Amino acid sequence: MNRLVCPFCGARELEEFLFHKTLPEAGASEYSAVYERTNRLDDSLEHWQHVHGCRAWLEVRRNPSSGDVLEIRMIGGGRN
Amino acid sequence: MSAASPRYSAWSLLRARLAGEGFWQPLWSGARLKDGYDVVVVGAGGHGLATAYHLARDHGIKRVAVLEKRLVGYGNVGRNTTIVRSNYLLPENHYFYEDSLRRWERLSRDLNYNVMYSPRGVLDLALSDGEMIGLARRGNAMRLAGIDAELLDRPGVMKFAPELAAAGPRRFDIVGGLLQPRGGTVRHDAVAWGYARAASALGVDIIEDCEVQGVRTAAGVATGVETTRGFVGAGRIVFAVAGHTGAVGRMLGLNLPVETHLLQAMVTEPIKPLIGSVLIYVPPHGEVYVTQSDRGGVVMGGFLDGFPSYTREGQWYRLEDVVGAAVALLPQIASLRILRHWAGTNDMTMDGSFIIDRLRHDNVFLNGGWCYGGFKAIPASGAACATFVATGTAPDLIRAHNLGRFASGHLLDERGGGPFPVRQ
Repeated sequence: MNRLVCPFCGARELEEFLFHKTLPEAGASEYSAVYERTNRLDDSLEHWQHVHGCRAWLEVRRNPSSGDVLEIRMIGGGRN
Repeated sequence: MSAASPRYSAWSLLRARLAGEGFWQPLWSGARLKDGYDVVVVGAGGHGLATAYHLARDHGIKRVAVLEKRLVGYGNVGRNTTIVRSNYLLPENHYFYEDSLRRWERLSRDLNYNVMYSPRGVLDLALSDGEMIGLARRGNAMRLAGIDAELLDRPGVMKFAPELAAAGPRRFDIVGGLLQPRGGTVRHDAVAWGYARAASALGVDIIEDCEVQGVRTAAGVATGVETTRGFVGAGRIVFAVAGHTGAVGRMLGLNLPVETHLLQAMVTEPIKPLIGSVLIYVPPHGEVYVTQSDRGGVVMGGFLDGFPSYTREGQWYRLEDVVGAAVALLPQIASLRILRHWAGTNDMTMDGSFIIDRLRHDNVFLNGGWCYGGFKAIPASGAACATFVATGTAPDLIRAHNLGRFASGHLLDERGGGPFPVRQ
């Protein structure tokens, strides 16, 4: 994995993006959302930001074992 | 089994010379997997092997197995920058790492195996007055605990590490540094081999190519592990699989306060002796630690790639960051070629400190969450974890490093970075 496809800017070097946080499962407690991780080997849902590009906040679903990006979209999915 | 590898001494080396190749035997025997053990340790890295060694040596538990998915020392014990030090700020951490450093000092004798402990000094550098204040605070905390720490001014730094003085004018000049003279390096592979040999001599079964895939339970107690070679019964189970601790959580249906990140290291072609100590610089102007190996290669490491990954494929931009910071410190090395670079999977916890605690069941133990601090911790971790497993009570050295600290608020946040694994 060395590039991400920004929904606004297209494929860009990974260096342009900043990983922020792994997202908790739906219904996780507040404690769990802050301190615990599901740590699935093949599926990770994360918040990234295209900091050196359009600065959009992105929701990225990746496979952390293979590096494949499964899904990438703007947080909330709407226009901005 | 102890016949596998004879005791080493000057006399045995002489005999080896006379006997030719026939003298050298495998360091640990090809043990056959039994149906059950008193303790099954999962992971034949530094922590797993050290735990097994101390269980057998200190607590007389003879039926111990170490199960390894791949090979002895395949994981992080062979993927680090070999630095050992105890220059931590928080008492819970510096007392533990100091215990470890004292064990490193005598480990070659204890294991009867030369782990090449080299107390060449660990020097943390400051490029601003603010950083000097931070180093002074850390040094004072260490000295209060009886740990060696010397605050050096600029001339002191240049006297101790003249290779830095040769660098010429700098954009950010060196203001001073914090020196731990007893810190240094240890030959990492020798640590894995030495512990494996010593544990094997005490009757521990080291089983390679045996992946643990699940834990079998009955009436709320773990009864053994499911492996690729079938079920293995266990009175107690220890997981020492740092880098993949999250997967252990999955196995037991738990979300754990760890996240797996990649950390890279790299080594250049060998050159004549240049760097006489361990040089460390931490942010804001980059992050790098540089040593020179006994073979002459300049070994460098830096900070995390920046996102969760199990791939062991380091990102090019981070390699550039680390090398750039190293060249800023030592412009002399700018023309060297990098021979190898590699990435290891790190368990990053929510406070940057490790976890040794029970995991879900009374007889299942977790030794993990080592962040950047795994290699240097091996001797103390093995001894403390073995005591915990054998007696059922966590020794004082690791009592604060429990799993419950995240819920109770007693975090051991060395850097003060908040609950973000990527920022530890």
